[in-house]
Amino acid sequence: MTAVLPSRRLLLKAAGISCTAALLPLSACATSSPAQQKGVTQLRFMQNKPEVVAYFNQVIKDFEALNPDIHVVQDFNEGNFVPSLVRNDPPDVVTRGFAQATADFTRKGVFADLSDLPSAATIDPKVQALVNSWGQYKGETSAIPFSLAGAGVIYNRDIFAQNGVAVPTTWDEFLAACEIFGAAGITPIYGTFKDTWTLQQGAFDYVTGGTVDVEDFFARLYAEGADIREDAPESFSSNFGPALPKILQLTAFTQTGASSKNYADGNAAFGRGQAAMYLQGPWALSELVKANKNIQLGTFPLPATNNPADTKARVNVDMALSITRNTPNRAAAERFVNYLLEPSVVNTFNEKNAAFSPLMNAPAVGNPQISGLAAYVAEGRYYQGAGTYFPPSVPLGNYIQSFVYNRNAGQFLRDLDAEWRRVAERTAV
Amino acid sequence: MTTTSSVGQATPPSTRHTASADSPPVGSPPLRQTRDKVDPTFYWMLIPVLALFAFFITLPALVGVFFSLTNYAGYGDWKFIGLTNYVNIFKDPAVLQSYLFTFFFALTTTVVVNVVSLAIALGLNAKIKWRTGIRTVFFIPMVLSALIVSFVFNYLFSNTLPVLAERFGLTPLASSILANENLAWIAIVLVTVWQAAPGATIIYLAGLQSVPSEVYEAADLDGAGSWRQFTHLTLPLILGYLVINVILGFKGFLGTYEIIVGLTGGGPGMATQSVAMRIFSGFTGGDYSYQMANAVIYFLITLLISVIQLRLIQRRGVSL
Repeated sequence: MTAVLPSRRLLLKAAGISCTAALLPLSACATSSPAQQKGVTQLRFMQNKPEVVAYFNQVIKDFEALNPDIHVVQDFNEGNFVPSLVRNDPPDVVTRGFAQATADFTRKGVFADLSDLPSAATIDPKVQALVNSWGQYKGETSAIPFSLAGAGVIYNRDIFAQNGVAVPTTWDEFLAACEIFGAAGITPIYGTFKDTWTLQQGAFDYVTGGTVDVEDFFARLYAEGADIREDAPESFSSNFGPALPKILQLTAFTQTGASSKNYADGNAAFGRGQAAMYLQGPWALSELVKANKNIQLGTFPLPATNNPADTKARVNVDMALSITRNTPNRAAAERFVNYLLEPSVVNTFNEKNAAFSPLMNAPAVGNPQISGLAAYVAEGRYYQGAGTYFPPSVPLGNYIQSFVYNRNAGQFLRDLDAEWRRVAERTAV
Repeated sequence: MTTTSSVGQATPPSTRHTASADSPPVGSPPLRQTRDKVDPTFYWMLIPVLALFAFFITLPALVGVFFSLTNYAGYGDWKFIGLTNYVNIFKDPAVLQSYLFTFFFALTTTVVVNVVSLAIALGLNAKIKWRTGIRTVFFIPMVLSALIVSFVFNYLFSNTLPVLAERFGLTPLASSILANENLAWIAIVLVTVWQAAPGATIIYLAGLQSVPSEVYEAADLDGAGSWRQFTHLTLPLILGYLVINVILGFKGFLGTYEIIVGLTGGGPGMATQSVAMRIFSGFTGGDYSYQMANAVIYFLITLLISVIQLRLIQRRGVSL
């Protein structure tokens, strides 16, 4: 009996030691680095659109054939970017959508200056200005636009033709078109209010972008800092009031039960022809075609006033190329960025993805799905959505959803002003 | 060889069982061993766990406390700002609302879960047909992931239920309750109860099985009805299990996150934002240090509640 005891103790000891041993690999893997082939520079390329992985795989293959000394690894999980910054090990080349969230990286000097790149000179200055409008680090060019997405009202060309409705050019014409569809028993606009972002990028951004000078408004608001009062001339209360009833007019033309439909529901329903119009950007087009390959789609910018000259398209820099400042592979990264901005690469990409090329000499857009926006984009008659100017810590989509459900404009404006002031207070200190 | 205690390790089998009851035999080695020297093996088993805990739980928590005193966004430059974040938390109605909602939700859910699971446990403990099979069915929700459950219920609430309600002419139910700011919390409570009740039921079942049947026989002889038997016998006898269920449940519901994410995402509007969701938003929203301060405050509040609950438990003579 007693002979068993030492062996048990041994067992316990062994268990303890194996536990400690299990810890060792954890510390060991932190120091090991991927084996590198001699003479080949490895670039990490993080792009922000999981749906275009295949395109970039092809681009990388072509690039590597021309540049055998560089090996590019594609990563499409944008969520890794902030953690990689925290670890101080960011990817070498990054694409990001440019808005408030990215502006903060720029202002903190995360990206290198690209103004000397030869490809930087081929970019349309109007589009470059969109990127720069989010703030610059010591006047540098932190990102070069790669893809410009134009958004408006997606419409079903067949339903428009069957009801004899032309593309509206004024707010009254737009309302009249909605009435015609409603009288014909067709849902004028398909609403997906369950996903708050669809309300934000659709009804909210389109109406405010068409009635308020969004860029100027936010420039003055940011300049004001935390000392913003509700009755100040820079506040939301003083500027957004006239736009809000139009948002409610618009959302009143959606189907009953819009509040329990999400983006995926909307794509399926609109694809099946259950509504005449859909307030979505070009990213929805491929989904709609997936739902119904025979659907004839077009896009027009929402006319938010009765003066057609006021009508503008909503654009966003969907992808902009940056090189991280601390990369040890700066030269290789620059060669890769220059390659990506060659007309054959950048124009093909935008043609395939229903977007607009940022190059000065970009060919005319022939895609009928977005051709209704082409003239506006070419003339620079566009705005970046008001929603994109908000710091991500403001739950704007939820506030808009509340407003659409409760129809309380005063409360909505007071909430926005108060939330803005609180965020400004704590981020300015 | 059935011993599991270290005290009796070297004691001959004949004296082992008497050692605890009688005075120890003169010069017995086991007692000296426990008093003077603990087998180092036990330290070897503890240290890795302690190291893991310290490295992955304590250290990050302390780093979080440290950054709650700065204006760190999660990356880039930062500086110390003292207690400003803490002061701002108390001025933020959105955060205060999330606290109110979370406590309201945790209290309601705790009550509902315990009523429901006690009722289920009473039913499952009775001599019913197919008892084992029915018990299994009732425990299935426990093994399903909360996120998946809430996505399924999301679909039911948004699509199936409105269609059914419309067909039967129940117009008030024809729009999803998830889209109603005043009713969305009911859906969240419902799904949480559906998911949490089996766990509580198991504990109640264990409690009910520990009540000797003689007690009920005696009560029957005295002429006590079933309601009196329940309030005067069953409930006092399983009070310890009730306390455990209430405390564990309340603590768990305070941290509610994934069911809300799957059902409403904190909406409609701001109606169902829980504290945990607010804190997590700091990672994506560049609000890292501010929400860290929120997390520290929430930690202190839950710590206080736990201490009060532990005191209550000790007074009741129950140990977790």
